[in-house]
Amino acid sequence: MTADALHVRGLRIVFGGLVAVDGVDLDVPVGRLTGLIGPNGAGKTTTFNACTGLVRPTEGIVTLFGRDITLTSPPARARLGLGRTFQRMELYDRLTVEENVALGREANFAGRRALGLLWGTRAERAEITQARDEAIELCGLGGLRGQRCGVLSTGQRRLVELARALAGDFRILLLDEPSSGLDVRETEAFGRILRAAVEDRGAGILLVEHDMALVTSVCEYVYVLDFGRLIAEGALADVTSSPAVRTAYLGTEVA
Amino acid sequence: MWDLPAVNSFLPLIVVGLVSGSVYSLAALGLVLTYKTSGIFNFAHGIVAALGAFAFYELRDRHGMPWPIAFVLCVVVVGPMLGVILERLTRGLAGAPTATKIVATLGVLVGVQQLLIIRYGAATLAFPGFLPARRVRIASVNVEVGQLIVMAAVLGAAVGLSLFFRLSRLGRAMRGVVDDPSLLALTGTDPVVVRRWAWCIGAAFASASGVLLATSVGLDAAVLTLLVVQAFGAAAVGLFTSLPLTYAGGLAVGIGAALSTKYVGSISWLSGLPASLPFVVLFTVLIAAPKRRLVQVAPERARRVTATRQLGAGTKRAGLAVAGVVIVLIPAVVDTKLITYTQAFVYVIVFLSLALLERTSGQISLAHLGFAAVGASTFSRLTTAGTPWLVAVLVSALVAVPVGALVAIPAIRLSGLHLALATFGFGLLLERLVFQTSLMFGGGDSVPAPRPSIAQGDVAYYYVVVAFVAAAIALVVVVHRSRLGRFLRAMADAPVALATYGTSVIAVKVAVFCISAFLAGLAGALLGPVVGRAAPQSFGAFPSLLLVVVLALQGRAGEYRAAFGAAIALTIIPAYVTNDSLLEWFPVMFGVGAIAVALLEGRDESAQAGGRLATAAARRIGRSPIAARLAEAGAR
Repeated sequence: MTADALHVRGLRIVFGGLVAVDGVDLDVPVGRLTGLIGPNGAGKTTTFNACTGLVRPTEGIVTLFGRDITLTSPPARARLGLGRTFQRMELYDRLTVEENVALGREANFAGRRALGLLWGTRAERAEITQARDEAIELCGLGGLRGQRCGVLSTGQRRLVELARALAGDFRILLLDEPSSGLDVRETEAFGRILRAAVEDRGAGILLVEHDMALVTSVCEYVYVLDFGRLIAEGALADVTSSPAVRTAYLGTEVA
Repeated sequence: MWDLPAVNSFLPLIVVGLVSGSVYSLAALGLVLTYKTSGIFNFAHGIVAALGAFAFYELRDRHGMPWPIAFVLCVVVVGPMLGVILERLTRGLAGAPTATKIVATLGVLVGVQQLLIIRYGAATLAFPGFLPARRVRIASVNVEVGQLIVMAAVLGAAVGLSLFFRLSRLGRAMRGVVDDPSLLALTGTDPVVVRRWAWCIGAAFASASGVLLATSVGLDAAVLTLLVVQAFGAAAVGLFTSLPLTYAGGLAVGIGAALSTKYVGSISWLSGLPASLPFVVLFTVLIAAPKRRLVQVAPERARRVTATRQLGAGTKRAGLAVAGVVIVLIPAVVDTKLITYTQAFVYVIVFLSLALLERTSGQISLAHLGFAAVGASTFSRLTTAGTPWLVAVLVSALVAVPVGALVAIPAIRLSGLHLALATFGFGLLLERLVFQTSLMFGGGDSVPAPRPSIAQGDVAYYYVVVAFVAAAIALVVVVHRSRLGRFLRAMADAPVALATYGTSVIAVKVAVFCISAFLAGLAGALLGPVVGRAAPQSFGAFPSLLLVVVLALQGRAGEYRAAFGAAIALTIIPAYVTNDSLLEWFPVMFGVGAIAVALLEGRDESAQAGGRLATAAARRIGRSPIAARLAEAGAR
């Protein structure tokens, strides 16, 4: 295991009698776009929740940059540099686009010093403003800065969520179906933003995605989940040619 | 072996407990049934019970109807009729946020309770028992035949309801209707009909329990309403969903209360325990039950965003200037009503603090005046002990802060309905168990609360309060503009996102409850000196409910305007109504207003969610599954 990555080892999550995730190993190094694909109900979002601390694993460990974070609280993980977006978007609907994106960075400062929860220092404010403006610029949201998020379209909301995640000081980003609800043009723009995040900022991204076109165009390495188990991993070409993956997920469409 | 005298002394208590517990169970079963089926937790359940009892009184005592006929009419006609009305009233709330649902049923509670007081007076009316009082001897205890009938009938009702829920077609439909009404509709069952049945049965149970309760406590709208609130404790034992456990919970609460009357009798500070045992149970269950077992029936939904009209900066500044001038000039204009205005300004602080919790942060507090009570009683003790006035005010506000942190504990674990119930239980506990102790008001009618030596006059004290209001507003403005303010609003909308981006939601909740309690404690300290004394009944659980209702009346107004509007509605407007009978109607208007606001909001929510089409489609689905599916598909 390397110190510059998120590692999941032997992850197993059981809800009542249902085994949602069963013995999953993942590596998400910085500087790489990693894909996580699989049919609905395969356990992708549950794996994300275990990585970010919203679900406690039944077995297995999660390490981030060499530290065991299996039992760390979600805010503490974020402060260590792990960020995520949500399949069901979790935006602050009453706040503006600008405020939402800024909070991606600001929330990260809350627990860093005494009274950091109550107000920010001048240096923090400058850093937040800069991160916010860069993320808004990168995602092309300049025209919507003052809009409240509650009134935006799904595609715009996806972009705001991505911008908020990019504004955060995260070295590993988990993106949960970020392109669902986007049209073809928006998805292409999305792919460019993701590549820019990895290449220019050296982030590591784990992408859960149903849009195979996006996965094909950006992911260097892909994991395939089915019924909570990893059934394949490797470079995209190897994975898509695997018979197990074809039957489980890709079906005959690819052939 | 137990020695005989001891057994003899507690067996009769167990019988008494079983009887009163049976009646709580009956009420609680009805409550749980409607909650499970409609997702609406009916805070006005006690009002249904009271209406049942008053209907019985009308029929039997005023119109001379034989009691069996009157009883059957109450249970089979009056109860279900109320159920139908409540179902119709709450139908539009299905897509509304939890706070809106709570406000609607609180509106019914406040409004109808006042209607009963207007019609029958506030005094307790005699309500003779009707079940046979002949005693039989069972296992060395004398038991009235009537008591046996009550126990057996409630047991029968509990078993019957459980079986009905499990086995009958309608019962199974009731279990399905909360999870997915449209799916139920596709099987050809109209969800509205199913819900209406549940409300009818629930209200019939409530009505019967009201009649039975009235035989032991007399006919008093306020008392009956609160007695059925005891059923909340029983419902908590069943985690608000299990019917058999709810029944057992009612019995346990009844027995516990009966036994505790004997054992706490000699300890004065525990004298309020028997009556408040259900609230101890309610609060304890909510604090201690495993979180995954406490699942809210209808999922929590955050308030949706609407485009609000923002006032221009110029208009705003002009408005503020006018308001400032008016506030300064009020003492010169209002003459003898000045005290009312002083009081209104104190309530502005209370409402600012409540709005910070509810409107800004998405929390719920049904015990808000509890914080004010802590401030008021502390202030009285400090000034009596000779503490300088200003120091006493500030320390009193600070003393309320740890109490706020205490209420933040349920807020950390719970949200929505469960938080509302926990705070409600906390408020009742504080009122019943602590108010009368030497810690707070010490058992008297009121405690002294002096004005500062430099502001003994009414006008001077008015300006003192205005200065505190200005300071409170400044504090709230600072909070809003600070980082914490952004976190508060973010938490209201998407707490999970806030946590996964690095901010502990727990810390944010504790912070807002502490600030809110500080402001409420400050208001509590300032309220007493308005009239020179602070009385515990100004700070009870019921006035706290009224606060929530009156704040809800302010609709979508921003925090500051809402605080002023609510304070004016609560204190100033009634002061200008000289006609006493009109004055009586104020709580009714508050209640009706709260229901109207809740319904309007519920309509907006579903309309925004594209729900207007969906609702229309769902209604059609009830009649013709396939046609409606098509209609729904067409609408998309």
